[in-house]
Amino acid sequence: MNIRPARIDDLMGMQACNLQNLPENYTMKYYMYHELTWPQVSFVAEDNGRIVGYILAKMEEEISDGDEPHGHVTSISVLRTYRRLGLAKRLMVQSQEAMATVYRASYVSLHVRKSNRAALALYKDTLGFEVKDIEKKYYADGEDAYAMRLSLKYISGDVC
Amino acid sequence: MPPVPPKRALPSKESSLFKEVLNQYETKQHKKGLKTADQILKKFPEHGETLCMKGLILTHMGRREEGLELVKKGVRLDLTSHIVWHVFGLIQKGEKNYEEALKSYTQALRWDKENLNILRDAAHLQTQLRHFDQLVETRHTLLRLRPNLRQNWIGLAVAYHLNGNAVEAKKVLEHYELTLKNVPDYDVEHSEVLLYHVRLLEEVEEFDEALSMLDVNAKSRAIIDRTAIMECRARILSKLKNTDEAEHSWQALIQQNPDNYDYYQGYFSNRGLDLYNITDDTHVKAMQILSDFSTQLPKAAAPRRLALEIAKGDEFKELIESYLLSGIERGIPSLFTDIKLLYKDAFKQETIQSVIESHREKLSSPAPPAPSSESEPPTTYLWTLYFLAQHYSFIGQHDKSLSLLETALSHTPTLPELFMFKARVLKRVGDPYGAARAMDEARLLDLQDRFLNTKTGKYRLRAGLEEEAQDVLGLFTKKDAPSPGADLEDMQSILFLTEDAACHRRNGNLGLALKRYHGLQKVFNEIEDDQYDFHGYSLRRFTINVYLSMIPWADRVRSHTAYVQAAIAASQIYVSLHDDPTLANKSSTANHLTGAEKKAKKKAQKAAAQKVREEAKKALAQTNSDDKGLEPGPQKDDDPDGASLLKATDPLNKAWTFLGPLANLDLKNVDVWLAIYDVSVRQKKFLQAVRALNHVKSLDPENPELHVRLVHLRHTVSSLPQPPPEPIGPVLSESLDKLLSPEVSLETYNSQYLQQHPTSGHAIFASAKVLRLLGATPAEEIDNTVFTMFNPDVQFGVDTGLDVVNFLKSIRSSRVEEFRAAADKKFELSTIFKSSTDIASLRHEAIATVEDAEKADGDKVEVIS
Repeated sequence: MNIRPARIDDLMGMQACNLQNLPENYTMKYYMYHELTWPQVSFVAEDNGRIVGYILAKMEEEISDGDEPHGHVTSISVLRTYRRLGLAKRLMVQSQEAMATVYRASYVSLHVRKSNRAALALYKDTLGFEVKDIEKKYYADGEDAYAMRLSLKYISGDVC
Repeated sequence: MPPVPPKRALPSKESSLFKEVLNQYETKQHKKGLKTADQILKKFPEHGETLCMKGLILTHMGRREEGLELVKKGVRLDLTSHIVWHVFGLIQKGEKNYEEALKSYTQALRWDKENLNILRDAAHLQTQLRHFDQLVETRHTLLRLRPNLRQNWIGLAVAYHLNGNAVEAKKVLEHYELTLKNVPDYDVEHSEVLLYHVRLLEEVEEFDEALSMLDVNAKSRAIIDRTAIMECRARILSKLKNTDEAEHSWQALIQQNPDNYDYYQGYFSNRGLDLYNITDDTHVKAMQILSDFSTQLPKAAAPRRLALEIAKGDEFKELIESYLLSGIERGIPSLFTDIKLLYKDAFKQETIQSVIESHREKLSSPAPPAPSSESEPPTTYLWTLYFLAQHYSFIGQHDKSLSLLETALSHTPTLPELFMFKARVLKRVGDPYGAARAMDEARLLDLQDRFLNTKTGKYRLRAGLEEEAQDVLGLFTKKDAPSPGADLEDMQSILFLTEDAACHRRNGNLGLALKRYHGLQKVFNEIEDDQYDFHGYSLRRFTINVYLSMIPWADRVRSHTAYVQAAIAASQIYVSLHDDPTLANKSSTANHLTGAEKKAKKKAQKAAAQKVREEAKKALAQTNSDDKGLEPGPQKDDDPDGASLLKATDPLNKAWTFLGPLANLDLKNVDVWLAIYDVSVRQKKFLQAVRALNHVKSLDPENPELHVRLVHLRHTVSSLPQPPPEPIGPVLSESLDKLLSPEVSLETYNSQYLQQHPTSGHAIFASAKVLRLLGATPAEEIDNTVFTMFNPDVQFGVDTGLDVVNFLKSIRSSRVEEFRAAADKKFELSTIFKSSTDIASLRHEAIATVEDAEKADGDKVEVIS
């Protein structure tokens, strides 16, 4: 599978992939907002023109006092039929590199539903995230979210 | 400034009140603004500018119609005021009527040439409408008025670029960079501008300058996007034929992202090789490169996969064996999808089959594994069978595929992938009910997975089970949505809208089918509107490079398969309604509902009523406080069943709203042009019709549907009471004569076509349709013709068979049942030709229950609470 930076003409494929896989969905304008604000940090996995996985990411714009610049994963998923290829990990690694080198992000954060054990395992075991906090009633339906974090300090910001 | 006309001039008290209105509007104090405006109007009821401001404020407060009336009145009363035109333009822009809004803004600018707000909005409208000449002018003015605003420079460069003048765009950037002082380190915005500059240099082929600009700024860390630097560098060096350095850059990119195919392509191309077209001469070299990359990057999948494309003979055998066996061992579900493209090479296909078949033999042989070797885990056997099932179905041996799946399922009944693929095979052979059932069984094995849930919904829709589909889709949609479908529509689910529309169409509910197709059309309208905000936003954020790719994307967004298919389907329905308006009454709406449909309708009505109540509540909550903006809010749905769409008095115009945007996209899709023909010829736009057929002819000259249309056009034109006037008439007949010789009678032409395509079922069907068109007598001739489709050497698919059944029904043939029964016999695995009683029970069985799954596997089921 081809892993590459997301382009504007991938957005509809990403939206379709998201709607097929995940309960949190967004209209096209939100995808456009990501791509037209931080074009470097979202990536796709493509199989002969079809988007089979994606990471939709952004930079946190409002940084509270004492916090450092950091990225945020809005959504990441891979179609069930394309699992076990390590696509999620590859997508995540590329996105983290871009966050660290372009925006000097020192860590990346994401939210996950407390009940979503499969996703939790992916973030924790495969991708190395840690639970930082629980956000009460984060989701529209009242469910709590785990706020998770992964440090990016290991990536140097130097341009080769 | 021209003198203030007397009707606009206000005494000093009212004049300062008017300023107050403007201020209150700006600060969103709508109620106060309204009061102040009324104070002025009490004395000067014909004051145009005040009327407009009042209208604008009312619109913001949700009193849209009243507001618009006042604005229009205000404009009429003071045609030379920039304020009235600005207000009118704002309202039109809010309604997404960009053309009219731009006209108003142009008027406003006539009376106030240097108004920054109006100029900026005008620039955005000009971009949205792709009026790039005008855009350049507007951006020039803005820069002249505010040269120290950085985005004004970028705005002008982008305008030139969009207008096709990269050289001027580059000059603007050069000037701009001279004005800059003290740019901070690591400034992403500045970095993007510099990258844009490099890109412009590349576009005007000043490669040396591009490279040095890139290198200098990368070194000083003014450009900070590492990937972009490396990509640009590699590309430019290749163009400069600086092969060694370029190779180094491509290699670095591959190191950084070893699964990006573009990088391999760049690397190969730099070495004079076309990765996707390796010849005998370049074969050895190409294989060596990929093998080196495989060694260097043991975790990368791309070089191994690419080698399979290029490899030949024994070399291929060796590589594919380890590729396949390692994929099967790891249980990679996409293994077959991944390699099926290799099947265009017959040798590779055979090799793959024999590798996997002998692996299966090894695994299923009863001999116990040698004690020393590690025994294969049992899932390996399963994935082998799974692979083989996909293989045989792909090459058309569906029987064999299904029996392999049964073997696998009796071995392990808990792997959803097996059921999923079984569903797929059944779908392919024309058994939508069995397919829906199998997909449901997959879903029940993993109830937390939305992917399986979505698939089940889709397969139920394919089986005509609309209500049941919404039930299952509703497990993952928002609970407070009026219906699962409504949530999916809000979330712009193209999959749902397409499949639901097609489902309603198959079920004969043309109203709801149209309703969904219009829903899909709305999604694409929204996307086109969405770009509007970015015309300003991207300049403020300096994300110019990606912005410049948004414009051509938006221009072609409707070439998306889903839109194209919806446009074709919707226009077909509208054409059939035009041809037979009584269809509107026959369509299975209110009068002919089955029990399930009645239930669904009741549910939908209840939900709709609930939604209206909620909206009313929301509206009430808002009236007291705030701004509703200038965009009309969600409109009440007066036509939940699409009944009024069915009764549209202008079905052909409605069809054209779908097809029109496709006419200029130069699509290589025969069905689009056929649909354009069908609408145009009925609108008596004969030149457009004949041009559409020319497109079809150039794409697929022997297309059976083209045959039908050619006869139709000749027949239509010759039945006209008088030929179309000059110049249309002569051009039309000349073009038509080129497509279809006037020397031959249509009857002869039709039988010649049939003789030329004796084994194509679709061609036979087409010639039957032509017989019908020409009013064949006796009618049996039509029946006899379609029945020749069952001659042993004739080939056609399930879909064509179903089309024939519907055609025979539409002409009230006495042999519909006979054809159906014959098709049922011909397509053994298919169920769509079963009798209606059989189908009723198949529909019932298409839903699996939790109990069914529990029977298969007691404790694996997780139920979502």
